[in-house]
Amino acid sequence: MSKDTNRLLGHADEADGIDEYDNPLPDWWVGLFWFTVLWAVGYGLWYHVIGDRSQARRLSEEMTAAEARWPAQAEALAAAAADFAVTAEAVAAGEAVFQQNCVVCHGQNLEGGIGPTFLDDEWLHGGQAKDILTTITQGVPAKGMIPWGGILSPEQINQVAAYVITKNSEATGRPLGDILGSGEDAVPDPSGSAGDPVG
Amino acid sequence: MEKTTTGTVAAGTDVGYDLDIVKMFFTATVVWALVGMLVGVIIALQLAWWPANLGLPWTTFGRLRPLHTNAVIFAFGGNVVFTGIYHSTQRLLRTRMFSDTLSRVHFWGWQSIIVLAAVTLPLGMTQSKEYAELIWPIDVLITVVWVVFGVNFFGTLARRKVQHLYVAIWFYMSFVITIAVLHIVNSLAVPATWFRSYPVYSGLTDALVQWWYGHNAVGFFLTTPFLGLMYYYLPRAAERPVYSYRLSIIHFWALVFLYIWAGPHHLLYSALPDWAQTLGMVFSVMLIAPSWGGMLNGLLTLRGAWDRVRTDPILKFMVVAVSFYGMSTFEGPMMSIRAVNGLAHYTNWVIGHVHSGALGWVGMISFGMLYWMVQNIWKRPLAHPTWASHHFWLATIGIVLYTVSMWAAGLMEGLQWRALNDAGQLANPIFVDITARLNPFLWIRLLGGAMYLTGAVMMAVNFWQTIRGPERPAAEPVPVAAD
Repeated sequence: MSKDTNRLLGHADEADGIDEYDNPLPDWWVGLFWFTVLWAVGYGLWYHVIGDRSQARRLSEEMTAAEARWPAQAEALAAAAADFAVTAEAVAAGEAVFQQNCVVCHGQNLEGGIGPTFLDDEWLHGGQAKDILTTITQGVPAKGMIPWGGILSPEQINQVAAYVITKNSEATGRPLGDILGSGEDAVPDPSGSAGDPVG
Repeated sequence: MEKTTTGTVAAGTDVGYDLDIVKMFFTATVVWALVGMLVGVIIALQLAWWPANLGLPWTTFGRLRPLHTNAVIFAFGGNVVFTGIYHSTQRLLRTRMFSDTLSRVHFWGWQSIIVLAAVTLPLGMTQSKEYAELIWPIDVLITVVWVVFGVNFFGTLARRKVQHLYVAIWFYMSFVITIAVLHIVNSLAVPATWFRSYPVYSGLTDALVQWWYGHNAVGFFLTTPFLGLMYYYLPRAAERPVYSYRLSIIHFWALVFLYIWAGPHHLLYSALPDWAQTLGMVFSVMLIAPSWGGMLNGLLTLRGAWDRVRTDPILKFMVVAVSFYGMSTFEGPMMSIRAVNGLAHYTNWVIGHVHSGALGWVGMISFGMLYWMVQNIWKRPLAHPTWASHHFWLATIGIVLYTVSMWAAGLMEGLQWRALNDAGQLANPIFVDITARLNPFLWIRLLGGAMYLTGAVMMAVNFWQTIRGPERPAAEPVPVAAD
């Protein structure tokens, strides 16, 4: 602050006794101001003209990078759906997944709560195995059901679906084969207990 | 008579100032400070410990939070600014206020707005615009009262007995004019019933107008008038001339010109067009130097008075206030940079930032002014000089606990929300898990806020006993409470 003059302006009688010095602007302050102004112009030019940036472009770049790094989610899901099977191991593993993630809304014993029960015949979003897998994977955000596809692995989704389907079958007496479907949509039932295809 | 020394000439002669209105606003300030801060502590408790919501609709966080923000900004902040303006404007312009009647209409009008807000917000009546929640009939009342204030203020200006307009007056003018424009434009709505209305803007336009208003409420309600208060009360308390007249001119005009464009930084990564987002971001960054101009002029005015800063609680409050002003006006522009905003937005970091400005700058400069004023207006020494120092330390440590805990909480949230695991899935898929992890920080924040409130309660008791105490002998020199 060597440039300080500390010369009083003599305004004090016009400002309730408060006088002011006629000191110059600090150099570093002026420098900082100019730097931010030039930076603002430079950034604007870079973002919109030279670099041709945009939110949309950033999103697509991030998505491309993610696709390259991780196998495409859709393919993984398709592959997993083909692997779906109700086996004793899957049901046991599915119970663990259920207890960790689902009980808050669907109840300790699938009796429901915030979310619907799985112990009756009513399926709000389709009662076929493929519907149930879709509901778990994509969720029903409007009703608070989280899309678990980004959270659970495809294998875990298969397991928890196997658990829910098995418990539902036990509770309602609906044959497993009915739930697993038939024809093109049919999901193989390794136990072989599903006899007749039901339309 | 107030008197000044060192580098200043004797203050203007007593022209019969209206000090009663100053005392009225002063009293309202202290009352609303306690109310607003108490509600703040209550909602901080609710966030840390949910049963404090009491299970009643009227007492839930969602309704008490706007009550807190309205109470501290418009009730405490508004009244403290009016206290300072009604006092310093008369003295700086060496004339009584334009109209005693308008002064009182302004006072009682403003207090009734606050009471109406305190009734309607807990009842759930809201326009759902942040910092502009009040329903349309109250908005109309605000407009009327503001016009009354504006006529009274500019009427006083027209009757001034001085030629030179001191820098504090410029800041007050920017406050009166800009708040009128912001309030009216943002609140334009078509009434449907007495309690409900529909905004004239929709969708993105509504969001942009709202944040043009919201950000400039910070700029022109919590910044420019308080800079005006700093420019009057800091040199008065320090008894030193202002460091640089030139700096005050340049930073004033730069500040008011640049501030008004910065609002879109609240809408980064939204449907707002990219060019408008860039505009909000770069204008925010360009605000660093103009803001720091105010800080510099405050701190450098204290050259030659630093020995007193160690012992005088009034100057301590002011130094910490100006320092927090400098810190939060650097933090704000940093947070408005796209990459930083992507991490910080919607986290508790924003809450920490707001409170470093609100508790640190607005609160501390107000306390400094109020401690100076109670001794000068009522002409009495402080009843408990040491309490002022205790208040200072409670408030300062409280702010540090508040901001540091919120920085930590905000960074944790921001990083955990976006973290991915090796499979490219969310590492913390259950949102509420992250929320639960915030709890220790929320308790620390509550502690910081409670300390700040405790200091304010001590101040109120101190003022009460000071005002009821014996008048200071006329010969005794003005303020400076001992430590």
